[in-house]
Amino acid sequence: MLYSSCRHLLSSFPMAASKPHRLHQIVGASLLSSSKKPRTMATDSTMKQEFTKYADYLNELNDKRERVVKASRDVTINSKKVIFQVHRISKDNKEEVLAKAENDLAAVTDQYISRLVKELQGTDFWKLRRAYTFAVQEYVEAATLCRFCKTGTLLNLAEINASLLPLSDQSVEPLQINVLDYLLGLADLTGELMRLAIGRISDGEVEYAEKICQFVRDIYRELTLVVPRMDDNSEMKKKMETMLQSVVKIENACFSVHVRGSEYNPLLGSSDPDYSIFGIIMQFL
Amino acid sequence: MRAAFRTAIPALLSSAAAFRPCRRILRLSPLLLLRSSPLSSSMANHPTPPSSASPSSSSTAAAGATVGLSSSSSSSMEKQFEDFRVQLEESGSVRERIRRVVMEMEGAIRLMHSSLLLVHQSLPAPEVLEKARVQIGVLNDLFGRLAEILRECPGQYYRYHGDWKSETQTVVSLLAFLHWLETGSLLTHEEAEKKLGLNASEFGLDIEDYLIGLCFMSNEMPRYVVNQVTAGDYDCPRKVLKFLTDLHAAFRMLNLRNDFLRKKFDGMKYDLRRVEEVYYDVKIRGLASGETTKDQTTQA
Repeated sequence: MLYSSCRHLLSSFPMAASKPHRLHQIVGASLLSSSKKPRTMATDSTMKQEFTKYADYLNELNDKRERVVKASRDVTINSKKVIFQVHRISKDNKEEVLAKAENDLAAVTDQYISRLVKELQGTDFWKLRRAYTFAVQEYVEAATLCRFCKTGTLLNLAEINASLLPLSDQSVEPLQINVLDYLLGLADLTGELMRLAIGRISDGEVEYAEKICQFVRDIYRELTLVVPRMDDNSEMKKKMETMLQSVVKIENACFSVHVRGSEYNPLLGSSDPDYSIFGIIMQFL
Repeated sequence: MRAAFRTAIPALLSSAAAFRPCRRILRLSPLLLLRSSPLSSSMANHPTPPSSASPSSSSTAAAGATVGLSSSSSSSMEKQFEDFRVQLEESGSVRERIRRVVMEMEGAIRLMHSSLLLVHQSLPAPEVLEKARVQIGVLNDLFGRLAEILRECPGQYYRYHGDWKSETQTVVSLLAFLHWLETGSLLTHEEAEKKLGLNASEFGLDIEDYLIGLCFMSNEMPRYVVNQVTAGDYDCPRKVLKFLTDLHAAFRMLNLRNDFLRKKFDGMKYDLRRVEEVYYDVKIRGLASGETTKDQTTQA
């Protein structure tokens, strides 16, 4: 599987390369009638022959990488749109906003992830991982955010991967998101949840924010045990720091509403308590 | 437009009203203010002001309904992360084993390199090459062990590739140099795989690693030429120049990305230039004259 594409080239190669090879021999023979060093002659032409193979291999790999990068960019952009859609949530339009977000997410899966899967077909997923890892992280972020807003639970990696199975043909190995990309996506999710929590508090939904707070804490706690075991965890370590900041931000926001919100809700009266809370939150931003 | 203003103004007014008592309280507690101020700069997203102020009782009820779910979900979350921990631990132990093999590989590479370095000190003698050749067998075994480890996790060659990449490149450079000393021709990718006992279908030699290895070999050439001439082999620069020119021409057939291989290839021209200089020095002093006249007679 590793060199499937390369070996394919190898098998198709001799026919394509025989011509220049022969041509070279003729030219060589006419120049050096009794070639003093026949071996160097042969070396030169076999070298060219061999390098044609390598060139084909590199061309194919680079083209594929380019296509994967393009498909990944679409996945990233459209996953971001889903996340923004989720942030349009407010007290009264929850179902409506989430329904649209889920619709958009399904469209990302059907259109863009499927294209990524198609482009990756037959290649080692790890070889081109750098080309698509950010797209997959963003997609994980969007999918898990949608799921959390809908049910308050964490979308599992197994569930995401199960939903990706029908996208590719039976003949090829299906794209499965690896643990690392999933975890990196989760780390980004907490940033989005922080924004969501602040938005909810300013909208007066303190309990919702507290639920988010609990959820983010859970994720952070679980990740602290997993991160040291990750393959290349320098990126993840950075994300863990940001994540802790997010957790602290949510906690502080919840705290301020708890402590100070109780002080001035009665001051302002019940006419519009939400603005008072909003005012407190603004102090934090 | 005007209507929009009309709705915006009361909202502004009331939020301004909300700020006033708020400041008062913060003035009472400067410690809290200090604590919260570093956060303000790093906060990326400001919430949009609420458009309508409806009583919060309905939202709390909705939130309360979903809060109940989260307690059952946290156990499934725990389970998933537990699985991840096991998986990552396994891949970590695979990596450990790979690294141990690679460590041994480094030892074999050092031995092979040091015995090959002897070619700089005298005219090539067969026993010098023989010593280097012994290490090929050792490397063969080590690559076999790597392949065996990787057999346990099919399709993950490139997950761990970084762990043996640079060692493999060095191995290729040594093999190719040795092969050139023996035969005067370039070691092909296929031959390199064969020498190392690699099987392309399970644990192959990455073509980019092979090509980078060739670039490393090219770096060795100028020094070799200089020392051979010093030792009295005046024909060496011509041979090396021909070989390096061909190699450089062959490399130019590749469409390279802006990566490490490209950088190494760009460095190859300096090796070529150095060898050209040596060849020129030898030729202009007539040291390689015997060779050239022979060449001319055969060509005429």
